[in-house]
Amino acid sequence: MSAARARSRSADIDRSIHLVRDVVDHEIVDAHQLPCGSVDDVELELDPPHGLRPVALLIGPGAWQRRLPSWLAAFARWLAGSAETRVPWSEIAYVGERVALRRTAEELGLGSIDRRLGRWIARIPGG
Amino acid sequence: MLELFLGVLTAMGGFVEIGELTFAINAGSKFGYGLLWVAGVGTIGIIVYGEMAGRVAAVRGQPVFNLIRERVGFDAGLVTLMAAVAVNVLTCAAEIGAIALVWQLFVDWPYRAWVAVAFVFLVLAVWVLPFQWIERVFGLGGLLLVVFLVIAVMEAPDLGEVGAAFMPHVPALESTQEYLLYAYYTVALLSSIMLPYEVYFYSSGAVEDRWKPTDVRRNRLIVVLGFVLGSLLCVALIIVGSQFFGPRHVEPQLPGVVATSAAAHFGVAGLLIAIGGMFFAFAGAAIETALSAAYGIAQFFGWPWGRFRPPREASRFTIAWLAVFALATAVILTGVDPVSVVEYSIVFSVVILPLTYLPLLLVAGDRRVMGEYANGPIARALGWLYMGIVTVAALAAIPLLILTHGGQG
Repeated sequence: MSAARARSRSADIDRSIHLVRDVVDHEIVDAHQLPCGSVDDVELELDPPHGLRPVALLIGPGAWQRRLPSWLAAFARWLAGSAETRVPWSEIAYVGERVALRRTAEELGLGSIDRRLGRWIARIPGG
Repeated sequence: MLELFLGVLTAMGGFVEIGELTFAINAGSKFGYGLLWVAGVGTIGIIVYGEMAGRVAAVRGQPVFNLIRERVGFDAGLVTLMAAVAVNVLTCAAEIGAIALVWQLFVDWPYRAWVAVAFVFLVLAVWVLPFQWIERVFGLGGLLLVVFLVIAVMEAPDLGEVGAAFMPHVPALESTQEYLLYAYYTVALLSSIMLPYEVYFYSSGAVEDRWKPTDVRRNRLIVVLGFVLGSLLCVALIIVGSQFFGPRHVEPQLPGVVATSAAAHFGVAGLLIAIGGMFFAFAGAAIETALSAAYGIAQFFGWPWGRFRPPREASRFTIAWLAVFALATAVILTGVDPVSVVEYSIVFSVVILPLTYLPLLLVAGDRRVMGEYANGPIARALGWLYMGIVTVAALAAIPLLILTHGGQG
């Protein structure tokens, strides 16, 4: 899906973004369309005349563990750690079927585990 | 055109796996044509949801587990993911056990040695082959199972009787226990035809093959033709069970026993074709279940995934499918009876079907996201009808498993 199409389609139907429906739990892609996580949580800020304003996307086990019952969160922390990356709202290029970012995953500190493991896998023939 | 033709044939050849083979043959052996209608009902069901999964993947570029998380939320989605991964590991284990049993027919090495060889073979196949080759080699190889279609015809079933048996009915049986067993087989056969991994794999495959909205018609043809032809194999297995094994009072549990029907008609050549077809079908299913589990995890958490990326660029996805193969192999190496692993994988599969299908139905029917490609009246009506059917089957599955002592009556 090209950036231009996703933008024009969402513009045709609805100009506003519904935070829970269109952002939370959607896949995130970077400037090269590489998947780099899901929107695990959104950071909001109180902005008195307008109510709440989103300021950042929160991505990673630390962010989604807050949404789990405590016993399950403890297990998940043991399994996946609790790393969490914060991406400022201004880094969002557009919200379509996916949330697309303006810069690359590497620049935003996303997908670092994949890159680290990838260097190991690259040593295997065919990897 | 060639793409379409190959798509249909691979869908057909990839239709049967160990659970379906076992339940179809035994359904025929125990109840004659009494369960043929279930094959019909199941086939329409997998067509309805396979078509939706392919269409959503083509139009939105999104596979099933993206949708599950978006639509049912993180908590319920995570539960579905864990259940789906568990069922995929179990199904993969059943297929690996079945591959080892098939190879053991040729060379009498210890069963566990063959299990280890199967593990290495499957890992190498996925590592080395491009995605389209994986689909084609195992899908087309599975077409050798057409030998059972030929046997079914040669067994000269009464075609009027076969046709009539496609009307949903419950045959007259002798005892309550028999009726319970019939109900258990109904649920298990339905589940084996509508296994959830088929939908995960098909939709992820559509994304791997980079389908576009213009592929919607191709998707429909592949699903309808491929699955109808595939279900002919399932129908053939029920007929062979009924005509060949029923009168001999054999309830075949092992793939090798099923293959004796081919040997009886075509001698050694028949035996080799039947066993070859089984090998490709089981290996294809083992690969599809392992990849499906990895697809699900990667899509849920937003990791880069897919065999179109080299392993180093989708490293967590790669480790996930390797881990599923390893775990499935470990399950089988414990020495657990592969036949009971097949039973459990089939019964637990149906339990997660409603959770898999509901998000798909909601997204495929949503005009806001699907536009002109949203479900029409037929897809909507059938979708909800089957949602009801699989929900009833999901609720009944575990009680029936217990009441029939795992299908033993």
